[in-house]
Amino acid sequence: MSDLFEFNGSEGAGYAQPAPISDGYSIPPELQRRDLPRWPRASEPELVRHFTWLSTRSHGIDSGFYPLGSCTMKHNPRVNERIVQMPGMNDIHALAPASHLQGLMAIFHEMQEMLEHCAGMDAVTLQPVAGAQGEFTAMRCIQEYHRDIGQSQRDKVIVPDSAHGTNPASAAMCGYEIIEIPSLDNGRLDLGALRAVVGDDTAAMMVTNPSTLGIFEPEISEAAEIVHQAGGQMYYDGANFNAILGKTNPGLMGFDAVHYNLHKTFSQPHGGGGPGAGPIGVKDHLSDYIPAPLVVADEDEEGEVWFDWYTPPKSIGKVQQWHGNAGATVRAWAFYRRYGRELEKMSEHAVLNANYLRHQIMNPSKQVLDGIHAMPIDGAPTDIVKHEFTLNMSPLKDATGVTGKDVAKRLLDYGYMAPTLYFPMIVPECLMLEPTETESKEAIDQFASDFLRILAEDPELVKTAPHDTPVKRVDEVWAARNLILRHPIDDK
Amino acid sequence: MRPYGALGGENLVDQLPNLGREDEMLSAMGMSSMDDLFSDIPEHVRRVTPLDLPPPQTEEEILREARMLLDMNISVDSRPSFLGAGLYSNFVPTMVPMLATRGEFLTAYTPYQPEVSQGILQAMWEFQTLISELVALPVSNVSMYDASTSAAEALTCAVRIHDRKATQKSTIYVSELLPPDRMSVIQNYTQGAEIVIKKIPHDDDGMLDLTAAAEAQGASAVYVEQPNALGLLDTGLCKLKSIIGDETALIVGVQPVSLGLVTPPGEYGADIVVGEGQPFGIGPTGGGPIYGIFACTQAYIRQMPGRIVGLSMDSDGERAFTLTLSTREQHIRRHRATSNICSNETLIALMGAMHMSLLGPDGLQTLAKRNAGACAATKTALLSINGIEAVHPNGSHFNEFAIRLPKPTADLLSFLDEECDITGGFDLSRWWPEREQELLVCATDQIDAEDIDELVEGIQDWLEGYQ
Repeated sequence: MSDLFEFNGSEGAGYAQPAPISDGYSIPPELQRRDLPRWPRASEPELVRHFTWLSTRSHGIDSGFYPLGSCTMKHNPRVNERIVQMPGMNDIHALAPASHLQGLMAIFHEMQEMLEHCAGMDAVTLQPVAGAQGEFTAMRCIQEYHRDIGQSQRDKVIVPDSAHGTNPASAAMCGYEIIEIPSLDNGRLDLGALRAVVGDDTAAMMVTNPSTLGIFEPEISEAAEIVHQAGGQMYYDGANFNAILGKTNPGLMGFDAVHYNLHKTFSQPHGGGGPGAGPIGVKDHLSDYIPAPLVVADEDEEGEVWFDWYTPPKSIGKVQQWHGNAGATVRAWAFYRRYGRELEKMSEHAVLNANYLRHQIMNPSKQVLDGIHAMPIDGAPTDIVKHEFTLNMSPLKDATGVTGKDVAKRLLDYGYMAPTLYFPMIVPECLMLEPTETESKEAIDQFASDFLRILAEDPELVKTAPHDTPVKRVDEVWAARNLILRHPIDDK
Repeated sequence: MRPYGALGGENLVDQLPNLGREDEMLSAMGMSSMDDLFSDIPEHVRRVTPLDLPPPQTEEEILREARMLLDMNISVDSRPSFLGAGLYSNFVPTMVPMLATRGEFLTAYTPYQPEVSQGILQAMWEFQTLISELVALPVSNVSMYDASTSAAEALTCAVRIHDRKATQKSTIYVSELLPPDRMSVIQNYTQGAEIVIKKIPHDDDGMLDLTAAAEAQGASAVYVEQPNALGLLDTGLCKLKSIIGDETALIVGVQPVSLGLVTPPGEYGADIVVGEGQPFGIGPTGGGPIYGIFACTQAYIRQMPGRIVGLSMDSDGERAFTLTLSTREQHIRRHRATSNICSNETLIALMGAMHMSLLGPDGLQTLAKRNAGACAATKTALLSINGIEAVHPNGSHFNEFAIRLPKPTADLLSFLDEECDITGGFDLSRWWPEREQELLVCATDQIDAEDIDELVEGIQDWLEGYQ
C-alpha cells in the first residue's frame, strides 16, 4: 500500500530548480497566497516507486488480452512513442509562425489526405480531440449547413437504439432533439421504423457500420437514400472503422460526414482513458463549415512545397483552442506509414480474429460442452461478423444465476481485461468482444478455452469473482453514496 | 508483391501475428478465403480498387522520416522564446515521461473494471486531490480536453444548476478579454442550449469593470480569468462573488503555476475553477494532447462533466477506488448526459500528477517565483527601451504583459525571427485587429538573463532600422 499523501519529507526547496532570475515581481497583497497546497513532500526515488507500484496495479494491452468491444484495444507500436518524444514535438508552440511548424504541418497534410482517401470524403479536419468531440463537431457543421441553406427547421437527429451513448449525447449538445429507432430482432437497421420518422425536420441520422453488434448493415445504402430524400444528412460514427479499411468506405455507403478515432483505428494509446483524437471528414457540401486548422500545401517559385494554415470561409470556429491533439496525429501517422497501402490487411486480420474467436467460443468440443452449464446465445444471428461480436449470457444466468458481469469479473482472474459489459443495451446480459488484429491465434485459442472453462465453473466461484486481482470486487454503490472524491490529508 | 515472408515494409509479420496462418484459421471456421469474411458487404458499396497509398515502411524508415520532418519544426527550447498566450514553455522532469509511458498506464483504457485498474484509479484520485488543493475547491474531475472546453462545459454546467432560479434566463457573462479561439469554443458548446453570452468590459488598466459586472446578477454564470489573457492579476476578482451573488456561479480560469504565489480562486468565492493543466506534465506539444482542469464545489458535482474517481472498498473491506457518479455520463444517460465526453486526457493528467508530486508545495512556490521573476525582469528590460511602452503600466503581471510598439508588431516579430533567431511573443492583432502595434510578451521559468538581453538587443536593432 503506497499513498501519495503519506510522503511528508522535510520542508525546504522541494524539487531542485535553478534560482529565480529576479525577485522584482509584485503580487498585490490581496492576491498573495497564504497557505501552499498540501501537496506531498517526496523525493524522486519515493515517487518512482509509488508510481511504479501503481502501474503494477493496472492492466493495459501490454499486460494481457484486452477484448473491450468498440474500443479497438490493439497493440500500440513503441516506435510511435519514440517519435513523439523526439525534439520538434513536445517543445513546439501551436501559435508559432507556420515557418516553425513545417514538419508538423507536412504530417497534418498527409494525414488529411490519407483519411479523406480511406473514408471516401472530400475534406478532413484534425481539430477534434476525441471521438465524441468529432461527433459533436460534425453535427455542428451539419447544423450550420442547414441554417445556411434555409433549413433551420431541421432539429431532429435519428439514432438507432444500438448506437454508442456518445451519439445521442453529442447531438443533444448541439441542441438537437433525439429520435431513437428500435433495431430489428436480428439487430439490423429497421428501414420501416426509419421511414416512419424521417421528414422535413430530420437533420441527420447517426449510424455506425458495422454496428455495435459487429454486423455490417446490408441495407445501409437504402437507409442513406431514405434520409437523403427527406433532406437529412448521414453521419458515420467511425468507432468501428477498423473493420472495413480498404474494403468499403463511408463515402461509398452514402455518408456525408464521418469521424475517425485515431486512438482506435490508428493506435494512439488509450492512456487509461485518453488522450484520443477524433478528426472528421466531410463531403464537399459540408467542407466550408469544418473547424480550423486545415493545412494546405503550396509551391513557392523554386518549386519548394510550403504548408500553410487555412480556415474555411463559413467555419463553425473552434472546438478545442489549438490544433487538436497534434501528438496523436503524429503517432497515427507513424502507424499508418507502417501499413501504407496494406491497411486493408489490418482490417482483414481484425475481422479474421473476431470471427475466429467467436467460432472458438460458440463451437466447443463435445467434451467441453458437456461440462458447461449453459452456452451463450449469439447477440446477432449472422454467419459472419466484422471486427467484434456480442454474446447474450442470459442462458447462464437463467441456469445458475451467474450474470454477464460475473463472467466478466471472473475473466479478470485469468489475466484478461473484461469485454465491454451490458452494451449494446438491446442484447440481454451482453458481453461485447473485440480481439483486434494484433492478437495471435494462440492467445485467442487460450482466451476461448478459458472463457468456456468459466461457463463450467462452480457458479459460486464465478459470482464472487474476482479472487486473484489486486483487490476483490469493488463496491461501486458505496462509492456513489459516500462520494469521497479526494484524499482527506490529515494535518500533521 | 508478397504479403509476408518478404523483406522490407511489405513484411507485416512483425505487426500481424496471424499473417501467413489465415488458412488454418479459416478452415477451422469452414471458410476458404479471406474474401468470405467480407461477403456480407453488398457488392455496390465495395471498394473496387486497392487503397491508393504509399507502400508500407519499416520502423527504421519511419523513424528516419519522422526525424527529418520533426527537425523542420522550430522548438521553443532551441532559441529564446517569448511566446505564451495560453501555452507555456516549461521543464518537465525526466521522471514524468519515463514513468507515464509504462505500458500498464499507456495502453490501458478507461478503468471500467476497477479490480484490475486500481493503479490508474488511485493515481487519478490523487490527481483530483492535488488539483483540489491547488485551486482550493473540494472536487476535481480527471481532466477535460483543454482549458477552453473546461470553461465551456463549466458554463453549461452552471446553467443547468442555476437557470431555474435565474432572473436572466439562459444567460452567462464572460470577460471581454477572452482569446477569440476560446470564445469560439464557448460559443460552439453553449449555442445548443440557446445560451446568451454577454461580455463584461475591462477598464483602461485591464481590470474587470466591476460596475458592469454587477449586471450579471440573476444570470447563471460569470467566467473570468486570473491572470487574464494579457497576463494581468486582477484584485477586483476577489470582490466579484459578493457582487454577483450566490445564485450566479463564479467560474475562474487560471494558469495553474501562478497558484504557487497567487490566492487560489476557491478562497475568493469561485464555484468552478478551470485552466490549462499543460505547464504541469507536458510541454506545449503544438497544443495537444494537453489537459483541462475542472474543479468545483459540492453543489455542482451531479451536473459536472467528465470522469470522477471515488474511494470505496472491496468485498473484503479493503481500500479500493472506482469510477463514480457514472449516471451523469453518456454511456448510461445517453442524450440526457451532462456531457458527451468519453475519452479524456487521463494520461496527460497522470503526467501532471507526477510533476506536481515531485515539485511539492515548496517546489511549486519556487516554480511560480521563477515565472514571476522572469516576467518582471523581462518587463523591466523592455520598458527601459526608448519607444516601448507598457499597455498597462499600473498592472501586476504573471508570465505575460503587453507592450505598445511604434510600428506594427508583425514587422518586429519577423525581424526577431529572421534576423535574431528569437520568437518575440504573440502579435495581439491576431486576436484583436485594432491592437496591431501591441505585443504580448511571455517569460516563463525557461527564460534566463541572456535571453532577455538578446530580446532587448533585437528590439533595439529593429527600432534603429526605422531611424
